Amino acid sequence: MNFSVITSQFWSLVLQGLALGLIYALVSLGYTMVYGVLRLINFANSEVFMIGTFATLYLEVHVLGYATNSPSLHGAKLVWTLVLVFIGSMIACALLAMLVEIVAYRRLRARGANRLASLISAIGVSIALLEGMRIITISRPMTTPRLLDKWSFGEFHGANFRIDTLMAIVVPIIIFVVLDRFVTKSRLGKSIRAVSMSEENSKLMGININRVITLTFCIGGLTTGAAAFIYTTVYENTVFNVGFNMGIAAFTAAVLGGIGNLRGAFYGGIALGMLEQFASAMLGSQWKAVTVFTVLVVVLLFKPNGLFGEAVQQTRT
Amino acid sequence: MNKKIVSGLAIAAAATLALGVVATSPASAAAKTSVSLAFEGPLTGPDAQLGQDQIPGAIYAIALYNAKNPKVKVNLVKADSQCDGTVAANVAPGVAANKAVIGVIGTSCSGEARASFPAFKAAGLTMIAPSASAVSLTNPKAPDRGFPVFHRVVAHDGFQAPALARYAAKGVASPKFYIIDDMTTYGGPLAKGSIPQAKKLGDVVGTDSVPKGTADYTSVASKVKASGANVVIYGGYTTDAAKLFKALRDGGYKGILASGDGTNTSDFPALAGSAAEGVRLTAADVPFDSILSKAQLAEFTKITGIKVPGLYSTTAYNATNIFLDCITKGATTRSAIQLCVTNGSWTGAGGETIKFDRYGDIIGGAPVGGYLVKNGVIIYDSVA
Amino acid sequence: MANLTRFNLRDKGAEIWAGWSRPVRTVFVLAFIVLIGLMPFAASWGPTSFLNTPITSFQNVLVYPVGMFIMMALGLNIVVGKSGLLDLGYVAFFAIGAYSQGILSTLYGWNTWEVMPFGIGFAMLAGVILGLPALRLRGDYLAIITLGFGEIVRIVAINLSVTGGPNGIPGIPNPPSVFGLHFDLMHPETFFWLVFAMILLVIWMVRRFTIRRPGRAWEAIRQDEDVAALMGVNTLVYKLWSFVIGAAVGGAAGVLYASKVMVISPDMFKFDVSILILACVVFGGIGNIWGVVLGAGILAYMPERIRFISDARQLVFGLVLIIMMNMRPDGLLPRKKREKITEKGAK
Repeated sequence: MNFSVITSQFWSLVLQGLALGLIYALVSLGYTMVYGVLRLINFANSEVFMIGTFATLYLEVHVLGYATNSPSLHGAKLVWTLVLVFIGSMIACALLAMLVEIVAYRRLRARGANRLASLISAIGVSIALLEGMRIITISRPMTTPRLLDKWSFGEFHGANFRIDTLMAIVVPIIIFVVLDRFVTKSRLGKSIRAVSMSEENSKLMGININRVITLTFCIGGLTTGAAAFIYTTVYENTVFNVGFNMGIAAFTAAVLGGIGNLRGAFYGGIALGMLEQFASAMLGSQWKAVTVFTVLVVVLLFKPNGLFGEAVQQTRT
Repeated sequence: MNKKIVSGLAIAAAATLALGVVATSPASAAAKTSVSLAFEGPLTGPDAQLGQDQIPGAIYAIALYNAKNPKVKVNLVKADSQCDGTVAANVAPGVAANKAVIGVIGTSCSGEARASFPAFKAAGLTMIAPSASAVSLTNPKAPDRGFPVFHRVVAHDGFQAPALARYAAKGVASPKFYIIDDMTTYGGPLAKGSIPQAKKLGDVVGTDSVPKGTADYTSVASKVKASGANVVIYGGYTTDAAKLFKALRDGGYKGILASGDGTNTSDFPALAGSAAEGVRLTAADVPFDSILSKAQLAEFTKITGIKVPGLYSTTAYNATNIFLDCITKGATTRSAIQLCVTNGSWTGAGGETIKFDRYGDIIGGAPVGGYLVKNGVIIYDSVA
Repeated sequence: MANLTRFNLRDKGAEIWAGWSRPVRTVFVLAFIVLIGLMPFAASWGPTSFLNTPITSFQNVLVYPVGMFIMMALGLNIVVGKSGLLDLGYVAFFAIGAYSQGILSTLYGWNTWEVMPFGIGFAMLAGVILGLPALRLRGDYLAIITLGFGEIVRIVAINLSVTGGPNGIPGIPNPPSVFGLHFDLMHPETFFWLVFAMILLVIWMVRRFTIRRPGRAWEAIRQDEDVAALMGVNTLVYKLWSFVIGAAVGGAAGVLYASKVMVISPDMFKFDVSILILACVVFGGIGNIWGVVLGAGILAYMPERIRFISDARQLVFGLVLIIMMNMRPDGLLPRKKREKITEKGAK
């Protein structure tokens, strides 16, 4: 146990934990939104993320034509390029997520099938996507050009305020604020909440359930696509099995915060990011996963619905 | 090529009796017009890249051989063992049961090798591994040794690990090492094996084990920076090495970066970008594209569909060529192959002499080369 | 189409079974057992040689994955199918059994039969340690805790030296011979008979449990936990029982497995195995023993049979899962109609 890192690297760990945690938070929306409405673990979401990273790469390298050693961009060109790729990745993931819903869930739901049947068909989709991409990329990792030069705004007690780190923090926060307003204020957002509270009553109120479910997958896909873009921009590479660890982390974040709950995903992601950073610094990275799950068990023992799970309790009856 | 021909069916048959090795079909051997070699390694699953990088070396060698219209044609059987002992434990008996298979190019991973030994030993099926580098596989005293079927054309970790520490610290006045591994069968022993040598050369100021596939290496980077290390050694594969080295450089680390042959792939400079500059790599494998001429590389691409040969395609090529040479000399049964491989001597693609000792390692040890990344290209520097 | 997807062979089979007299049943069961016992020779007998697996050895495939998967799927079925608890970390118990065999046999020289009770015991103990806190949670929270537990066991095995770190444990001995049957590499068929006997034992055990008090309690918990608790069922105790019995089966499979492959390493006990076993249970027909056996048999056997398509093998596996689940969401052989319920919270 190494406590000295807490004093020497505290702010650095907090900053990195936030950046990583908010990426987790965005991906965990793909689990939590779907769970809220369908009460199903959307196992294919990890591969939606994987496809998002490849969509980002494809747009940058093949559509916009930047070679991996292209010089970094500046000014307006940098902004519109990143925005374009960002939107492209989100759209690709949203379309894929909706397709996943049609292939893996819709028919089963219409027949009132066992929840586990959907779980397995989602796992089937996940395996197919993973192996498909593996065959396409001949199992090779791939790299994206460094379009965003990693310049720093300066240091604060050892924490390096780099542009990509800040982007990984600011962009998810904006997305969460917008999404939170959308879900609480807009008509469609309210219908999502209505369905997650009671499907039957929502039907009676004239809500088109299928439309709401498609919308939920679409939103989960959009945020996962955003996360994939940020991930690829920050870490600059991807490989066909990149989704696996990300999926488990995001699912853990969702449960930690309280699954089915938008704000829970936000705080769960941050908590997990921090926990991972501090655990690796203090105990060594090999105990990171063990620490995370131990904390998860303890949290769930005292707060059985996750850290921010009150809202779920209401919807559960 | 300096060759020492010790084969022929009569000798083989006699040796079979003498050694008590099980020969599968000596009777029909004389009339054989085609035999098979099996490639055993990961072709699907999470570690598929390892095998998918190697198998082109074998495909290329066999295509060149068959193009010469030899008396005995050679087929390649793909035995996908997924770098997983569980799968290998099933695949190996199946390969052994296939009477046409007379030699195994493989395995890629040490874990697979261990799980395959029992079946191949029972069948007297010779293995030449392109990359299984765990020390114990050829250790006469280890319970999991592969004697007498196992051979490898790669230096084992006992050579590579100290060489890695030496090469990493070359020219550094007072090296302070930070040693990181990826918790795999390959990376763990390699990184940990370099610690004793590192302690001789200087101080080890920190170690860490980060599971393969981790997304974020920034916390490791800040730890390394805080420790004041000036030499970082990583035991692991390309993808994670690129992520780690990038995080270190972006985090302001200025010292030396070094890694073993798992990272020494043509993908690495591109993946790590500017962080790759000056990275020191060791390898028991010489990058295949550095050996091949332009025309040969074009042919390689035509045959395999792969533009840039991956890690250990050279050793896979060497391993395949040893079998092919034995087949050319008339060894078309398992026992004849075993005798030929055990006693023969060859020249590898890089010009080095390959001759196996009793327990299957190259005599004198395969050379461990030191490589540098310069201007985005991995170039050979010196013997590490 | 509708007929095909709704047809329930299980109900049909039960109908026929009910119509038979006791001697007919005995003869049928014995004939069935003999037939399965002859399976290892199917690949070399003309009419059934199409069963042979390319590249891998058919007899070994019958032991692992087929036999082992069936056994583990039966164990997991007690947890998931009978009492409705979603366990995503079942591989942990398998690993604990395998490591018990690995450590006790290589360090202390115990043979498989001596290790077996301890392997099962350790797995059950782990089941209690995990189950006591985890089973207080509902549904999908249990899923993530068990998933985490599976990963923890694997990571601990990588980090400890007694488990050989990432290299694992080599040189595990085969089981000693009994009744003149040798268990070694040259005799995969005897291993198959051993696994088959264990499977029969598990089936017998599960059937006994199902018709007695625990079975009824599990059924009540699965249908509605709150109502079950109101009716005086001690839900925690019975959930724990199903969890621990499932763990015991996994542990036994692990002990056998380690003594079969002779080398174990942490990467044999990844999350994928848990998922595959769960897929076997759901694919075959959750809650129904015969469905689970069939599902596990098919899912374990299929990837080996289609090895000739090489690279695309796993892709096809994924597609088969999607298509089959869409066509028969209750599995190949679903449980009895009257046992089907809409689970609480499911829609």
